[in-house]
Amino acid sequence: MAGKIKQMIDSIINQRAKDNPMLVGVIKSKLMLKGIDPNKFTSTSDDDPAIIAKLEAVMKELK
Amino acid sequence: MYIKTAYSTKGTSDEVIQDLKSQIGVFDTKLLVFFASPRLAPGIISQKVQNAFPDAQVFGCTTAGEIVSGKMLKNSLVAMAFDATAVNDLKIEVVENPKNENSVKKAFASFESHFKASMADLDPSKFVGMILVDGLSGAEEKLIDKIGDMTNVTFIGGSAGDDLKFEATHVFANGKSFTNAAVLAVLKPGVPFTFIKTQSFCDLGKKLVVTKANEEKREVIEFNDKPAAQAYAEVLGVDVEEAPNRFMHNPVGLLIDGVPFVRSPQRIKGSSMLFYCGVTEGMELSLLESTDIIADTKQSVAQAQKELGSISGIININCILRTLELDQKQLSDEYGKVFSNVPTIGFSSYGEQYIGHINQTATMLVFK
Repeated sequence: MAGKIKQMIDSIINQRAKDNPMLVGVIKSKLMLKGIDPNKFTSTSDDDPAIIAKLEAVMKELK
Repeated sequence: MYIKTAYSTKGTSDEVIQDLKSQIGVFDTKLLVFFASPRLAPGIISQKVQNAFPDAQVFGCTTAGEIVSGKMLKNSLVAMAFDATAVNDLKIEVVENPKNENSVKKAFASFESHFKASMADLDPSKFVGMILVDGLSGAEEKLIDKIGDMTNVTFIGGSAGDDLKFEATHVFANGKSFTNAAVLAVLKPGVPFTFIKTQSFCDLGKKLVVTKANEEKREVIEFNDKPAAQAYAEVLGVDVEEAPNRFMHNPVGLLIDGVPFVRSPQRIKGSSMLFYCGVTEGMELSLLESTDIIADTKQSVAQAQKELGSISGIININCILRTLELDQKQLSDEYGKVFSNVPTIGFSSYGEQYIGHINQTATMLVFK
């Protein structure tokens, strides 16, 4: 499977930043400090379970 | 004047408190932030400051040196008092055992109850968070990471110090002193505010990718699939034995939009490298080289002044490694003078927080 990571990153940014460009930058920075560089993932990137687990932890806080 | 600063280098804690009270004078203090040398017994000074300002909410921490407008100090206490015009509302919470993520949730529940809003929805342009952490807890990454997951409000702050003894660092809240704890404060300032995150390094264009790490221990085992110490020495072009002498001058950083989030090496352990803050597998770090702290800090303060129009107060949390570098270069007086015309307090810290946990940086909360 591929592309899940980009999908999750986009979802986190959309939900958290709500189109505020300043917040988009901050949320991307927070992801980078977790070791997830949003710019490195595309719709064809492999679904790395370790990264998916980190993103799931972030998404849990959104609920 | 809605923000006042004071400092004291007097001998006993009673003399320090008396000095502080006379400098603050008649002022309706709603919040008092203070940073104290560990020579002043932490439990006692925390209680005495609170008793001296009974109607104020009070928080702070111990230091590895203090900063006040125009001066870098040692063995002193520095304080900043805010009235209700400067800070309309605030809530302070102590997070004990900060590695436990449930303790952050408990603090956030208290903030939500106080401000009657979800922390996830609190407007980051109207609210700001301050964080002061026991500098020996090793909990900063998890703590700031968890906070960042739960809110868009910016938390800025640093890790308490103890004059480089590395024995015990304390945080203070409302008359008490804590270890293995963090103080979180959410403020609703009545005046505009901004942040400074300044570090003085340039990117040398050499990459070190963390290929194996023990994240819990802040240990990099391999960079670029090689033993970490060897890989670091290679990009510097020196022997492994020489590498530790370059740590302060050549740390590494995660570049975000070209700006480094600095990770400072602490020591070599076998063939691994230990750092003063967390490193994650897969992280692409850049080799950095130190530049001019004075010029960069001046520029950052000038930029904040331009953004706000004027500055009525700065809380400056300045990494101890920057303080040591300034001392080494005999630039401490000059650094203090950068803040001569701006009401400022601050301290030399064992780590800084802004979005994440960082090193060799000054994080500052700036009020108009």
